[in-house]
Amino acid sequence: MIGKLMGAAAALALLVGVASAGDFPDRDIQGIIQWGAGGSTDLVMRSVSPEAEKVLGRSIIMTNKTGGVGAIATQFVASQPADGYTLLMSAENPQLYKVMGLSNLDYGDFYPVNVLARGVPVLVANNDAPFNTIKELVDYVQANPGAVRMGSTGPGGLPSVVGGMLAAETDFKVTAVPFDGDGPALTAMQGGAVDFMPAVLGVAAEHVKAGRIKVLGIIDEEASPILPDAKPITADYPEFKKYLPWGPFFGVFVKRDTPDDVKAKLVEAFKAGAEKADFQKLLSDRGYVLLNISGDEADAFLRKWQSTTAWVVYDAGIAKKSPEEFGIAKP
Amino acid sequence: MKNQKTRRPGEVVFNAVLFAFSLFIFWQAYGISGFSSLSSAGTFPLAMSGIMIVTAASVLFRSMRLSVPQGGFAAFRREVLPPVVLIFSLFILAYSMAMKSLGFLAASFVFLLASIWFLERGRFSRALLLSIVSIVGVYIVFRLIFQVVLPEGIIPERAIAAAIGDFLKGGAKP
Amino acid sequence: MIDAFSYLFMSWLQPELLALTAIGTCAGIYIGAIPGLSVTMAVSILISFTFGWQVNHALALMNGIFMGGVYGGSRTAILLNIPGAPAAIATALDGYPLAKKGEAGNAIGLSTVMSVLGGFIGIIVLALAAPTVSEFAIKFQPRDYMLLAVMGILLVGSLSGESLAKGIFAGALGMLLGTVGLDPMTAEQRFTFGSVELMNGISPVALMIGLFGVSEALNQLHSLHLPAIRQRVDKIIPSLADVKKYLPLSLQTSAIGVFIGALPGTGGDIAALMAYDHAKRVTKEPEVPFGEGAKEGLVAPETANNAAVGGAYIPMLTLGIPGDAVTAIIIGALFIHGLNPGPLLLVQKPDMFWFTVGNLTLANIFLLIFGLTGIRIFTRIIECPKGVLLPLILLLSVVGAYSINNSVSDVWWMLGFGVLGYFMKFYGYQVGPVVLGIILSRLMDDNWRRAIISERDSVSDFFFNMLASPLSATLFAAIVLILISQTPFWKKFRAGGSAVPKNG
Repeated sequence: MIGKLMGAAAALALLVGVASAGDFPDRDIQGIIQWGAGGSTDLVMRSVSPEAEKVLGRSIIMTNKTGGVGAIATQFVASQPADGYTLLMSAENPQLYKVMGLSNLDYGDFYPVNVLARGVPVLVANNDAPFNTIKELVDYVQANPGAVRMGSTGPGGLPSVVGGMLAAETDFKVTAVPFDGDGPALTAMQGGAVDFMPAVLGVAAEHVKAGRIKVLGIIDEEASPILPDAKPITADYPEFKKYLPWGPFFGVFVKRDTPDDVKAKLVEAFKAGAEKADFQKLLSDRGYVLLNISGDEADAFLRKWQSTTAWVVYDAGIAKKSPEEFGIAKP
Repeated sequence: MKNQKTRRPGEVVFNAVLFAFSLFIFWQAYGISGFSSLSSAGTFPLAMSGIMIVTAASVLFRSMRLSVPQGGFAAFRREVLPPVVLIFSLFILAYSMAMKSLGFLAASFVFLLASIWFLERGRFSRALLLSIVSIVGVYIVFRLIFQVVLPEGIIPERAIAAAIGDFLKGGAKP
Repeated sequence: MIDAFSYLFMSWLQPELLALTAIGTCAGIYIGAIPGLSVTMAVSILISFTFGWQVNHALALMNGIFMGGVYGGSRTAILLNIPGAPAAIATALDGYPLAKKGEAGNAIGLSTVMSVLGGFIGIIVLALAAPTVSEFAIKFQPRDYMLLAVMGILLVGSLSGESLAKGIFAGALGMLLGTVGLDPMTAEQRFTFGSVELMNGISPVALMIGLFGVSEALNQLHSLHLPAIRQRVDKIIPSLADVKKYLPLSLQTSAIGVFIGALPGTGGDIAALMAYDHAKRVTKEPEVPFGEGAKEGLVAPETANNAAVGGAYIPMLTLGIPGDAVTAIIIGALFIHGLNPGPLLLVQKPDMFWFTVGNLTLANIFLLIFGLTGIRIFTRIIECPKGVLLPLILLLSVVGAYSINNSVSDVWWMLGFGVLGYFMKFYGYQVGPVVLGIILSRLMDDNWRRAIISERDSVSDFFFNMLASPLSATLFAAIVLILISQTPFWKKFRAGGSAVPKNG
């Protein structure tokens, strides 16, 4: 009897399959978010998806699969069939997996459906810290090597990369204290556990506006409308131009060998999501720069990002393996 | 607190296994970063496995001084692993191994049916009814409401659900 | 002021908001009760679901779920020994023994009333002292969090059962299991043996379901054909005298709950465990020993975890800093709805604050109503034949473990720990310290390393600065006092002084 039931079910499924072949999507799509609920990646994905669902005509079931700086989610999506039914909703991290020795995957194995947005890093400090600009910070650190405590989020995270850039261009020795994310690190900074930290503009902005922390400068070539007083780092250190624009990003990916018509349909859906006014307002309020790029354009962006960042972390001594081993070109 | 005079069947073996495990873990913890610095990733695991070694050794030593239990292996089988526990554990093992290949729905159904049937001795129809009702309940709560995508396996439930959804919408597909 | 008042009662007067709060609270109780379904999960699904709603409507639903969910974990903890959520671990320690004695109804009734009481205290503190509490809470440094973790670890002493050595072993094992995986601070792999699945570590919830639930289910097989325990259902709502009796304790444990909840690095699970420890220390003569069904052991964690809800909102509403995992997601929801939760929220939109206070109060009232109805039906669950109940518990444990992170390996861990727990219990090891250990592991390990990194690896600087900071010094002194009070010498001294004849 059970056998019959299963047979019937299988037959039904076969029927459905035949009836709608070539008509992507014919069932719900699974979106694997590589970071936890409530994080920036999670929020961006959950707000872009409702519009994409309308275009696709199916639900996108979003699942947080955390751990291993996102490597577990990345590995999972890579192990699924390349049929476009499993999306990787992720941030910049996979581009560093190879040099950090975490996984053999990076975005070379995936097709960028949409690289939605990029964040802008700022340097913020405890109100009592004896420096007010990036230049003063650098001078103070040089006068007191190792004594200044920098909030960090672990090797490969945004603070470590910005710290690496500073170390590459100036003589910059600080003690990095790692926290679980930029939120907890900013909280700890308000309590005085660290003196300064690099953070994403959107996360730090509200605290700066309320006067609970101060901003030293912005790691970009222009000031941001969110915090117009933050001076761009290139004003004092023009040599930083070669790294910029740089920042964490969010994107939606499928496996590289997914059929082209499926890719096109997904690109169309997420483009619609990214063009929605609500979504763009949400991004700009948090200080993110909308990218909304896909395909070759996105690939070029991803390659440049990887080459800049992988070499910075390698030169800073954070990486376990040389980017050269993986054919990542020196910028 | 009872003052134990004789050890329980298999107690020394269990304590010895825990002691050996602690030694192994200490060696593994040492492998993380050695005794390099107080702030390294391996410090805390080293300290914890050190505590485990000391306490496991003391427990092992104490249990060896207790007098030997009566009954040998037969007592172990009777008190620790009676047939019903052993068989039910095997059911669970089979269930969890089958989950990835058969899928959640099929594996759970077979597991429930078999184990209720086995534990309740007979009454197949009741076991069948209970299994179907529970699986449907779990599917509705976890898969439909909470959108937990359970391992799919041989029953293509996503496709079936989509077909039913389309059917209810009157076949009007966007 | 008039404005504040109107926002306070907004959700009481608008039928839609009233209904959403009710639905949320009711759903929350069941979400909390089912292991593997968590409030965090429910609220994050609601973010997409309520995308087009007004922010107050979305919040009403989320607040209800939060309130109900934290309480709901106690249901399965009492009935099946499976804490529905980590915040209910301590509830299982004395709640399940009560159910075994046929007093499940009474236990659920008491835990409901006490949860509501704790919830109210949390809300009162939120309404009256939020800015002060949050300013104090963010003063906590890594070193202070580490000391808090040490304080929590002392609970091992009272959870050890027959042998302290076995208890310490179990606690250290739990701590060690908590370190498995990719270390977020150094990106080094610890005990992963090269497996990607292990990088995520061992989920405390999977471990908890296995050690508590599955091992108990296996244990129950020994008495498969004994008739199920008849549950008394005549005395469900606790008498006023009972409530009065536990009032002093519940005020203390609620205070612990609010404060631990307000700390950005800790939540309801740690609050409940510390409250349990506190209750055990201050209760001189429990009617029944702790661990065998002491009512105090039920009152303490239940008041504390619901008080922690109000506590978690304190830094969120005043500073935009989440007090726990759930408020972190609610902050995200506020962003999506176009608000900027941060230190300015209280200034720019004070209505949000008063709306939340009023709405949480409403949810708490619904909690009392829904919590006290249907207890009879719930207690029937454990009266059903074990041959049916045990397979269902296993099914629920498997789905629950899988749902935590959509991974089959969590199911394997859960089952493995179920078997380990079965043997541990048989050989006189308690499983409580293992769960305590894994919950406190990262709090202790990470904060120790942060603290010592900040001192550039100098132990003398570490101690000097610890004693120089009033906050750390106080915590340190408290730990020393607790340790001394647990030594045999002190106990003898106390017993000799008060000369109370003890029979037992």
